[in-house]
Amino acid sequence: MSNLWRNQKVRNLFLQGLFVAAVLLIVIGGWMNAQQTMQSQRMISGFGFLHKSTGWDVNFSLLPASANDPYWWFFVIGIVNTLFLGVLGLMLATFIGGLVGLARTSSNAMLQLLGRTYVDFFRNIPLILQVFFWYAFVTRLPSVRNAIEIGPMTLSSRGVYIPALNVGGWYLFAAALALVAAVVLPLWTRTTRRIDKPREERRGMVLAALFGSLALVLALLWLGRLPETPLIDVPQLQGLNMRGGLRVSPEFSALLIAIGIYGGAYIGEIVRGGFKAVGRGQTEAAHSLGLSPWQTFSRISLPLALRAMLPILANQYIWLIKATTMGIAIGFTDFFMIVAVTINQSGQTIEAIAILMAGFLAINLTIAAIFNRINKAIALKGNQLRS
Amino acid sequence: MTSTDQLPTPAVSIQGMQKFYGSFHALKNIDLTVEKGEKLVICGPSGSGKSTMIRCINRLEEHDGGRITVLGTELNDDVGNIDGIRREVGMVFQHFNLFPHMTVLENCVLAPMLVRKIPRAQAEAAAMRYLEKVRIPEQARKYPGQLSGGQQQRVAIARSLCMEPEILLFDEPTSALDPEMIAEVLDVMVSLASDGMTMICVTHEMGFARRVADRVIFMDAGEIVEMADPETFFGDPKNERTKKFLSQILGH
Ligand SMILES: Nc1ncnc2c1ncn2[C@@H]1O[C@H](COP(=O)(O)OP(=O)(O)OP(=O)(O)O)[C@@H](O)[C@H]1O
Ligand SMILES: [Mg+2]
Repeated sequence: MSNLWRNQKVRNLFLQGLFVAAVLLIVIGGWMNAQQTMQSQRMISGFGFLHKSTGWDVNFSLLPASANDPYWWFFVIGIVNTLFLGVLGLMLATFIGGLVGLARTSSNAMLQLLGRTYVDFFRNIPLILQVFFWYAFVTRLPSVRNAIEIGPMTLSSRGVYIPALNVGGWYLFAAALALVAAVVLPLWTRTTRRIDKPREERRGMVLAALFGSLALVLALLWLGRLPETPLIDVPQLQGLNMRGGLRVSPEFSALLIAIGIYGGAYIGEIVRGGFKAVGRGQTEAAHSLGLSPWQTFSRISLPLALRAMLPILANQYIWLIKATTMGIAIGFTDFFMIVAVTINQSGQTIEAIAILMAGFLAINLTIAAIFNRINKAIALKGNQLRS
Repeated sequence: MTSTDQLPTPAVSIQGMQKFYGSFHALKNIDLTVEKGEKLVICGPSGSGKSTMIRCINRLEEHDGGRITVLGTELNDDVGNIDGIRREVGMVFQHFNLFPHMTVLENCVLAPMLVRKIPRAQAEAAAMRYLEKVRIPEQARKYPGQLSGGQQQRVAIARSLCMEPEILLFDEPTSALDPEMIAEVLDVMVSLASDGMTMICVTHEMGFARRVADRVIFMDAGEIVEMADPETFFGDPKNERTKKFLSQILGH
């Protein structure tokens, strides 16, 4: 027996079992306790409420929504809204962060100063204040009649009107997926180790992936176009109202700008850190081999910096997705706000919060999983590295 | 026939070169000519400016005064000159500086393909020849992090050779290596020397200096203090500082 106990594997297994048992005990105990309390207070528990209609409306939805819709559909709308804001916010933050990070690592003193000022300024003001600021800003744009026109876009206090596509919902969704594929597939084809061919022989495959996906996007849009309308619907002022196009609500614009700018400051620092982590030796070696500054950047610095950045970037992305819950402060119907209103209206606090947590867990675990996969695929091989 | 036809252009010619780091005078009035095919060994105490001097030859450092001419081209702010010189001058570093995200073969073909525009098949064939020369062709598909230090340094030498440079600079190529790996790298360097490569080596491997060097230079405090053929340099050094350095390095 004592021999068995001294075996490291047996010991670990035993401790693990003990830990799982303790966790189970706490969860089951808590659940039974909650059941009892709710029964004594005559509260109906369970997820039956999901099929009741809500009786209230949402101010922003990518999907069709009305007050007759059931709760579960509103949760779907909330998740889609959160994802839409989150993904666009992350893209904007990454774009801004890339520029800021490059400015900070450049050799130009003016750019360095600009980048530093940007980071110092936007990183040190609480996000919620920035959300309020941009909300105040976009709701104080001129009225629809005096709206500012930038190309096909129209900026007004009622929202930003952008051209929309007259394409049926599912076709539009499929086209959006195909557009994502148009970015991901060529990149994958170019970098994967699964295809045993050097880069320049892959050019044909990369182009095929790119143009194939783009052709699919166009085909889907064409197939799904709504009859008797132009494919592209440009917003126009008619009387006192805007007709056509897509209205982006001020709440959404404010959150998008705030998350993009605030996240950009943090991501800028991550980008800078990534480039600083690239050994000077590697860039010197590239220079001494005669590589141009651009070749050194694109073949050596950037790939190495990306590897250093990705794990921290994943953290930042997860953090920014959670930051979309700021929407409740200005009334954007994201997942969090819909859950909050649900609790208020239906009284199903525990169930609604469970759904909220499950939703955010699912989103963020997916992000983490994607990044882990990418990290693993591009991880540096071996452990004998010197810089 | 003019006189320039009779005198071949030297590989490297340095005249009155100065280098400052802020107010610190790192290199003082350096004069040095290295002929094509010559093997030059540079030694001297830490901080004497050895690295700085050879890094000026391919513009990893910018000199502040005097002239540096490499293979007849003057090193100045002309980007075309700098690119041209870097194409002809290879460098091997103390810490190898391989590209860790590329295989050994990719490390070797990158510059020939990007800079010399050689097609991949041809570049890979050449790379395999040089990997055979440094005796590690079987490691071509591995990543630098999967190799020992000595193997990494030999890859770094092969990578430089793939550009088919006229001149190779070595900055303490063996001082980050364990004793048993030093020999394998020095062997490669000796065989390069016998192929007629122009080599400028910063090293404290005095056995190597005796065996291959045409001239040995001793630097101290940013100056070239002594310059002689190996026999004179080791047997009959003139300068007190050289004597002291040699007794320290050979003494035990
Ligand atoms: N980037 C720099 N900024 C300021 N001073 C520097 C810089 N690089 C080198 N120096 C100084 O210049 C002098 C010469 O440095 P160098 O690296 O050439 O010495 P070294 O002879 O190669 O020494 P070691 O044997 O330790 O490599 C040293 O005093 C060093 O402190
Ligand atoms: Mg040095």
